[in-house]
Amino acid sequence: MAAAAAILDINNLHVRLVDGREILRGIDLAVNSGEVHAIMGPNGSGKSTLAAVLAGRDGYEVSEGGVTYLGRDLLAMPAEERAREGLFLAFQYPVEIPGVNNMYFLRTAINAQRRHRGEPELDAGQFLRAVRAQLKLLDIGEDLLQRAVNVGFSGGEKKRNEIFQMAMLEPRLAILDETDSGLDIDALKVVARGVNQQRAPDRAIVMITHYQRLLGYVEPDRVHVLQGGRIVESGDKDLAVELERRGYGLLGDAA
Amino acid sequence: MSAVVDFPVKPEARPYLDAFALGPSGEPEWLGMRRRRGLARFAEQGFPNRRSEAWRYIDLRALEEKPMLPAGAVRAVAGAAIRNQLASIAFSEAAYRLVLVDGRYAPELSTAEGLPSGIWLGGMAMTIAERPDLVRYAIDAPLFDTERPFAALNAAFFGDGVVLDIAPGVVLDRPIEIVHLASGGTGESLHTRSLVVAGADSRASILEIFAGNGSYWRNDVVELRLAAGAEFGRVALVEEAADALHIGELLAVLGSAARLTSLVLLLAGRTMRHEATVRSEGEATQCRLNGAFLLSGRQQANIVTAVDHAAPGGQTREVFKGVAAGRAHGAFQGRITVRPGAQKVDAHQLSQNLVLSPHAAIDTKPELEIYADDVKCSHGAAVGDLDEAALFYMRSRGIGHEEARRMLIEGFVREALEPVGSAPLREHLLSRVARRLTMLEE
Repeated sequence: MAAAAAILDINNLHVRLVDGREILRGIDLAVNSGEVHAIMGPNGSGKSTLAAVLAGRDGYEVSEGGVTYLGRDLLAMPAEERAREGLFLAFQYPVEIPGVNNMYFLRTAINAQRRHRGEPELDAGQFLRAVRAQLKLLDIGEDLLQRAVNVGFSGGEKKRNEIFQMAMLEPRLAILDETDSGLDIDALKVVARGVNQQRAPDRAIVMITHYQRLLGYVEPDRVHVLQGGRIVESGDKDLAVELERRGYGLLGDAA
Repeated sequence: MSAVVDFPVKPEARPYLDAFALGPSGEPEWLGMRRRRGLARFAEQGFPNRRSEAWRYIDLRALEEKPMLPAGAVRAVAGAAIRNQLASIAFSEAAYRLVLVDGRYAPELSTAEGLPSGIWLGGMAMTIAERPDLVRYAIDAPLFDTERPFAALNAAFFGDGVVLDIAPGVVLDRPIEIVHLASGGTGESLHTRSLVVAGADSRASILEIFAGNGSYWRNDVVELRLAAGAEFGRVALVEEAADALHIGELLAVLGSAARLTSLVLLLAGRTMRHEATVRSEGEATQCRLNGAFLLSGRQQANIVTAVDHAAPGGQTREVFKGVAAGRAHGAFQGRITVRPGAQKVDAHQLSQNLVLSPHAAIDTKPELEIYADDVKCSHGAAVGDLDEAALFYMRSRGIGHEEARRMLIEGFVREALEPVGSAPLREHLLSRVARRLTMLEE
């Protein structure tokens, strides 16, 4: 196998909210293709802010540092361009969109990305075949596709729908923000199966999580602990197990 | 010279009185009587102004300042321009079509071939001449005769309209399309009066399209009489000329277990107003009133509904969606009345509105008047901006900002179209909405 290519390089990233509160205080993180990273940390440590800033949500100010994604300045790209360049964020709270059919939504997204890459758009038949192949894997009923995006979905259905979108969009970098929260053990296994199936040599996955539990099913290559807006410790998969045992409070400087 | 009359006359009504005096003769006497009564009523009231509650959200001063007199009775046979206009706007899958040009029935553009027996479909003037028995009672004794200046003026001046009479038990699965075109007049008014009588246990639906060129004022009145167990659907798609004024009035009476579905889409025209008044006289009726307006520039629109439950067990469902961009102004006013003794009425009204620019505005005013104690009535109203979280979610999947906005607005409006049973018709209406959205500037 060729040497792993750098996908994401976060360099001394400082992020403030519009009200001036500093949430991220100098993040350094490098993620290469083929790798699965886990970012763990207590509530309020800045995990979700990191995910939001990487995906391009408004309302944050980068006061210092930067992010390189596939050799480009990620922070200079609007959210839709990041997605078209292969960045995917699985939302902690997937958004309900009344009146917009799930299939129509997904096909519009896929074709927007394909146009960006100069590829022909998928017609309805091609799209449907691709959809059916993924549905089975994630235990999603076809009725879910005919409903409005996330409207009336259970918590587990919303999370599975996120992983389904990820599988359909085939990203280079997938960031999973608390995808394990609110799932019962069966749903967690289904989601984990979907994530494992997406592991690939040319793809990187960053899992953001509070608990070690998902990591029992999706084994990370690297584990990082985020606390007080900084990565305070990094290690291999054993770090997650250790954290579960000793808790976050005993690590380095508390925020 | 002004016509001499023995009733009080508002100054703005004077030109209409003069025009009436010059109007056609040769109609049956009963119709002439009815016209004069309408004229007198209008002359006393004049145009409604904003002090009147039902008209407070719409600016009609232009109409007061400059009379728009009724178009002449003579209509040229439709030429290529009209045929092109029709082709561009019509629903291609309509099985039966009735076309009116400048408020007059145009048989050369209409087709009713294959209509089952038991259905009468024709122009109002033609029906008055050939089958007065079908319409005289309705015109002689209007169901609603309250303060309705536009309906009164319509009674005085209507030149034509549509009559649809459905015998008991007759079922028509495919919608009848009725297209009202304006050929490009300047400063005239088009008064159309239509009547639908749905016999017991019959089932039918119509799609009415209003479109045109030029500068005109359309004053349309439709009366629906649904007998026991009748099921009737009406869609009004208003895509008038950019400079047109559209005033539409729907009056309906429901017999026992009758089911009415009405959808109104106000998409184009300078000023548009649609008022639906429904009287639920029989028990266990079902009334579904939905609608939407999409406004930009300096357009104004007003959707008004009044449902009166006079009998027990009725159900009303209303879903209205408003979208305003630019400097547009929209308003929804919805009244639901439950009379004493009308127990077990179940009514719900929803008015949701999107205001897309700081200079646009939407007013919404629900009114529930409940005089019975065992009923279930509720309403919800909201005015807001597009959901930022949803926009970001869509962009995070690669959908561009503008496309995401369009999809969100289309999805928002789509919910109002849900009761349209025919899938091809629903798709047609959605395509008109989508087309309008591409022209919705900031």
